[in-house]
Amino acid sequence: MKAVKVVPLVAAALAFAGVGVALLPAAPVDGFGIEAYGRLPVLEGGRVKPVDSVARNTLLLIRGQQSFQHQGRSVSADEWLLDVLFRPEVAEEQPIFVINDPEVLGLIGLQQTAVRYFSFKTLGPHLAEIERQMTAARAIEDKQRTRFQGAILNLYERVYLYYRLQNTLRAGEPGLALFRPIPPYSNASPEAWRSFAEAKQDAAADVLQRLGGAWASRDAAGFNRAVAEVREIAAARQPSSLRHGDAEALFNRAQPFYLGMVIYLLALLTLFGSWLWKRSLLQPTAFALLLAGAAVHTAGLFARVVLQGRPPVTNLYSSAVFVGWSAVLLGIILERIYRKGFGTAVAGVAGFSSLIVAHHLASDGDTMEMMRAVLDSNFWLATHVVTITIGYSGTFLAGALAIGYTLRRHFAPRLDPVNTKALVSMTYGVICFALFFSFVGTVLGGIWADQSWGRFWGWDPKENGALLIVLWNAVILHARWGGFVRERGLMAMAIFGNVITSLSWFGVNMLGVGLHSYGFMDSAFYALSIFIGSQLLLVGLCLLPRKFWRRDGGAVAGGQVAGG
Amino acid sequence: MTTQLRSRIWDAVTSLKLTLVCLVLLMGLVVACTLAQVNLGTLAAVNAYVRSFLVWWAVPGTRFSIPIFPGGGLVGLVLLVNLVAAQVRRLELSWRKTGLWIVHAGLILLFVGEFVTSAFQREMQLSIEEGQTLDSIESPREMELALSDVTDPGHDEVYGIPESLLRKGRSIAVPGTPLTLHIKEFFQNAELSMRAAGSAASPATAGVGTGVEVKELAPARGDDEQDRRAAFIETVADGRSTGTWLVSNGLGAPQSFQHEGRTWTLAMRTRRFYLPYSLTLKKFRHDVYAGTDIPKNFSSLVHITAPGEDRDALIFMNQPLRYDGKAFYQASFGKGDTLSVLQVVENPGWLLPYISCVLVAAGLVVHFLLTLFRSLKRRHLAVPVEAR
Repeated sequence: MKAVKVVPLVAAALAFAGVGVALLPAAPVDGFGIEAYGRLPVLEGGRVKPVDSVARNTLLLIRGQQSFQHQGRSVSADEWLLDVLFRPEVAEEQPIFVINDPEVLGLIGLQQTAVRYFSFKTLGPHLAEIERQMTAARAIEDKQRTRFQGAILNLYERVYLYYRLQNTLRAGEPGLALFRPIPPYSNASPEAWRSFAEAKQDAAADVLQRLGGAWASRDAAGFNRAVAEVREIAAARQPSSLRHGDAEALFNRAQPFYLGMVIYLLALLTLFGSWLWKRSLLQPTAFALLLAGAAVHTAGLFARVVLQGRPPVTNLYSSAVFVGWSAVLLGIILERIYRKGFGTAVAGVAGFSSLIVAHHLASDGDTMEMMRAVLDSNFWLATHVVTITIGYSGTFLAGALAIGYTLRRHFAPRLDPVNTKALVSMTYGVICFALFFSFVGTVLGGIWADQSWGRFWGWDPKENGALLIVLWNAVILHARWGGFVRERGLMAMAIFGNVITSLSWFGVNMLGVGLHSYGFMDSAFYALSIFIGSQLLLVGLCLLPRKFWRRDGGAVAGGQVAGG
Repeated sequence: MTTQLRSRIWDAVTSLKLTLVCLVLLMGLVVACTLAQVNLGTLAAVNAYVRSFLVWWAVPGTRFSIPIFPGGGLVGLVLLVNLVAAQVRRLELSWRKTGLWIVHAGLILLFVGEFVTSAFQREMQLSIEEGQTLDSIESPREMELALSDVTDPGHDEVYGIPESLLRKGRSIAVPGTPLTLHIKEFFQNAELSMRAAGSAASPATAGVGTGVEVKELAPARGDDEQDRRAAFIETVADGRSTGTWLVSNGLGAPQSFQHEGRTWTLAMRTRRFYLPYSLTLKKFRHDVYAGTDIPKNFSSLVHITAPGEDRDALIFMNQPLRYDGKAFYQASFGKGDTLSVLQVVENPGWLLPYISCVLVAAGLVVHFLLTLFRSLKRRHLAVPVEAR
């Protein structure tokens, strides 16, 4: 019986060991302390961040990844950035522009093959044509653009971003620079960072020039010395920026949400395994892994809060991280109450899938971007936004439980009514929880609107979406209280809650109207449609008459379970 | 028979089924309203679906509209009646139901608040440039005919005639003046153009209107487009016509005429409300994050001058100025960051949602906690039975 205690602990310890490995700094490449360079603070997008963040976000925007393979080895974002800045001839050979649209490929005289990444050099001869097409496309309104026009605009923006990056440490037009590397003196405003072109005479600019020269001439010792000198200058002028740079670079390297996603997946696989083999051992192991995943997820969430100095939800990306996090916590609580593995299952699914969603939302660039004036209110971000997001989690969790109920009814080899009853009461409880948070969150949103725009309720799409969640949860509960639906109906309605929540979370952003819209997202549209389609199928599956069900829990009275 | 009928109606009015039907209808309306905003704009969509008793559908090719769906007002009213009636009938007064009582009281207040808002809320605007002092605010969606006695160079006497009176197309004797206005024609939205040579004579006999062609247009759609009102108005002073004028907010300067040594001007303009105090914009700020175009802050430093009041107030994002029953919000800006546009809202029911929110939240907590405790108690009782 010892194994039941030891194995879960070992599994969790292994998960944490994996996280520890991710925290280790990367080894120098050919003696160049690239990692130390990546930690240097600069100002970009209105905030101080390490060069590493600029490199990762820019490469993510251009290539869709934070590192890439070239000539048989992996090139990190920081190394790529150094090449773009100081060895443009090398960087221009690197395949970093991802192009998927066949018509755009046709424009630059290429056929669509397995190769999707192209170098700046390949694009070079076609830049004039790309610009011409872009000018035509830009004249057309957002929603009227064809796929080709959208794709060419997107490519142009990425080429322009690359061009800006290339010009950042050159003595040209200061407005062209992507980031500002010259720290302000300690008596100046902490935001008064200057671009290279603006501060050519500054000591820091001088060192940066040497740093670049050392990188270009492959002088590792000179490079490392210059990096240390830049650090000294920053330490003398803006010591807090150095601390922030170090912390954020560590956060970037740790990738807590990616690791959390992997651990949640392991927890899920272990749990699925437990249904086939050694349940008493694997179920606690899965739960231990879930806890480890939750710990990593929580650490990441807190790190973001500290780094950004903001409540946890500030944009769509962080809302996905937070929805997953609160759903996981709820699932853990359910598991502690019921101890049947359902809590672990739904928490694992919720954590894993929300972090995948977040991962895809992160491709927009900096996920800690500055808040626009109207949203710049930590009080309301902490109350309204957090509450409404917990409401989303609750509704999704109820939906996930209901999906579990449906699948179990159709596919589980054995069913016992006690477990079915537990699932139903869990779902019911979570819906009550969701109604509370979505209602309070929605009304708090109204109060925020009253404070900032002068009306409590403006029937804005995002407000309407939140209202729909509240109404739907109220409909479910009243239908249950009135006895209009029973077990199956409750579950089908809970699954439909997923449709409503996903629409109000993402769907309203696709309408492109209203004060809340974050911008149009094409690819997300297809993902959302597929999700909604799948949920409707599950509602159908849930509503199939009893004769289609594998086993009727109610018929197996008195705990007598038929074999098979 | 009648008692039977009455009890059946009472059953229907208080039934939970009616609640559910209303909630589902409301969801349908909210979805429709959201989708309609893409084409109609927020205001028109809200008016069509939410702030209406019936949703109308214009039969294509005819001039008829038929109601096809209950509107938000009707559903809300039925829900309100249902809520109150059910409360009276079904919910017994017991500690077990305390939470639900509080929740439903809060909801009733929320509905009342929305009705109060739709009936009494006035949204106005104050566009003010740096250094400017104003003692009036405008209602950008409403027009008025401003008839002013400008004889005295130091002081204008302004008579504002709201467009609702003009629309009725009658004769209006302006009190306190010797003038009567005959409204000949009124256009909700019109296109003004130069009159082509040889076209039929204009109804206008004086002012710029004699040279202008007026073509009626359908009312504008969308939130950004504005109607251009126009009207032909004959001014009659002491029984004698002083001309028929074209007035429109599409025309520039006011048109003037003389009567018995006094000079009068006529202009169609956005409806103005005069305040018993004045506001001066001392400074407007528009800050961005360093090296970006991302707005960081908008703020207006205004000075309030009133009898017994002489102070500065800073209006910024999420921080309106509440003064004299009105709330002034930072809404927009222009003219190279020297013009500040403040949204001015007067809503006597603004506090209701705040109270309602607290009530419903507290009620839900009470109710769900009571339920949870009962269910946990049951579980504890049930466990030994299952374990057998």
